[in-house]
Amino acid sequence: MIFAQLFANGLIAGAIYSLVALGFSLIYSTCNFIDFAHGVTVAVGAYLLYFFFSLLGLNFWLSVILTIIFTGLFGLLLNIVVFKELRRRKASNLILLTASFALLIIFESLILILFGADVKTIGYIQVSRGLDILGAIITPLQIIIIIVSFLLLVIFFFFMKKSKIGKAMRAVSDNKDVAEIVGISAERIYNWSFFIGSAVAGIGGILVGLDQNLVPTMGTGLMIKGFAAAIIGGIGSPIGAVLGSYLLGFGENFGIWYLPSGYKDAIAFVILFIFLLLRPQGILGKKK
Amino acid sequence: MFLAYLISILILAAIGIILAVSLQLTVGFTGLLNLGHLAFYAIGAYTSALLALAGYPFWFCILTAGVLAMFFGFLISLPINKIKKDYLALATMGFSFVVYAVLLNWTDLTNGPLGLAGIPRPQLFGFDFSQNSNFLLLVAIIALASYLIIKLITISPFGRVLESIRDNELAAKILGKNTFKMKMCAMGASAFFAGVAGSLYAYYITYLDPSSADIMQLIPFLAIVIIGGLGSLEGTVVAAIVLTFLPEPLRFIGFPSSIIGAARQVIYALFLLLILIFKPKGFYGKVKLE
Repeated sequence: MIFAQLFANGLIAGAIYSLVALGFSLIYSTCNFIDFAHGVTVAVGAYLLYFFFSLLGLNFWLSVILTIIFTGLFGLLLNIVVFKELRRRKASNLILLTASFALLIIFESLILILFGADVKTIGYIQVSRGLDILGAIITPLQIIIIIVSFLLLVIFFFFMKKSKIGKAMRAVSDNKDVAEIVGISAERIYNWSFFIGSAVAGIGGILVGLDQNLVPTMGTGLMIKGFAAAIIGGIGSPIGAVLGSYLLGFGENFGIWYLPSGYKDAIAFVILFIFLLLRPQGILGKKK
Repeated sequence: MFLAYLISILILAAIGIILAVSLQLTVGFTGLLNLGHLAFYAIGAYTSALLALAGYPFWFCILTAGVLAMFFGFLISLPINKIKKDYLALATMGFSFVVYAVLLNWTDLTNGPLGLAGIPRPQLFGFDFSQNSNFLLLVAIIALASYLIIKLITISPFGRVLESIRDNELAAKILGKNTFKMKMCAMGASAFFAGVAGSLYAYYITYLDPSSADIMQLIPFLAIVIIGGLGSLEGTVVAAIVLTFLPEPLRFIGFPSSIIGAARQVIYALFLLLILIFKPKGFYGKVKLE
């Protein structure tokens, strides 16, 4: 009984983390720096949906589409205004990382100033009774989260393997200089990475926002889990990112069998730490 | 009235100097981007607060706070040769999250989100530091001592090895330096002073809750270190004082208090971002972050 519930919770957590991890992994593998602003991108997604749907009163599906596009543009804008400028000035990846940390703080604070610190609910889906599946209670929305996350993974995987941009992204992440020699513009690929990675994070923000409440700092916790998952799974491998996400989701949820639930966040980091020590390239990553 | 206000800001500036100068030792001098500095600060603050509430004298509390923080500094740097650069930033930030989670959840010890209240002001050699003006004197002396000790560390041969690790670790190794041990010592010393700063903060504020370990609170100190300039202690002190006063006018503009905190964070983070773009060496710095 309790096993089935923890399993279901692990599955849901893994599905959500994988949406954050996919975008992070994409940005990290092409642009080669840890983008902390990715965390606030998730929150921007959730708050944009709140803005379009709950405040402006737009149609729900229109709001969702606008949210995904605008979240992608938000990421693109950060890249063009801040990171591109830094790269032009030959900034190291640690400077880019620190700048992204500053951006995380700036936008989280701005969300707090604009929307207030209190908890917001989008309230599109009425609180529905959960379905009983093999003794685990899951709401219909949570099933949607798992399905969307899975579908996105499949789309993402084929996009990276088959599309022209996907191939160019892999080329840049493999060897930027060679990619530029054969005529791929690295800056263009960085823009695409930020747009797509942020849009996927926006989808994550939408789903989390529908399932849970909105608070300005909601992205930070998710970001940390997403980063941990991507590194555990192996940076640069979308399948690895998803694998890491589910591993983390299950690890956390079965971990609270033994520990108070407040330690969930800590468990993620202990797992990450063990991987950084013993297998820094992750489960599916290639050794450098 | 104004004097009392000035004194309270100067106390926070002095504590900020200790915290920023110790962070400078790892980030600026040794080239380790340590995003978990506040974890050491919080460990020191809680250690000191719990001991003070149990009735232990000031000197014992502050030293134990420093030593325990140093212990964790050593502990976190055990894998420092395997975890490098941006992964180190992530790992230290993770450490900060773990400490935060423990402070929040170990309610038997830390009283969880309710925090510890009624921490007594220190007494030393019969002097009573419950007045803010006296307390400022105490904090200023400890800040000066911390500054001088860290200055001595950085101009000593040991400090020069730390800078060589930052600039070229391989070369330092070739010259036979045990860079692992050196980095560990730098982290330990840095954590010690962060613990001391935490202890002073607990004594000053007399009430402590886990938000002191919140990763968001790191941004002012990271901003101070980078704006002051990597590898410059003087720059750090100047930046610490200037940046502590910088957002104060917000109080007088008449923002609601819930927004002031967020507005302060925006100012610090924005300032940090602009410096990173336009003046990456900071005002007095010798090197860029690499």
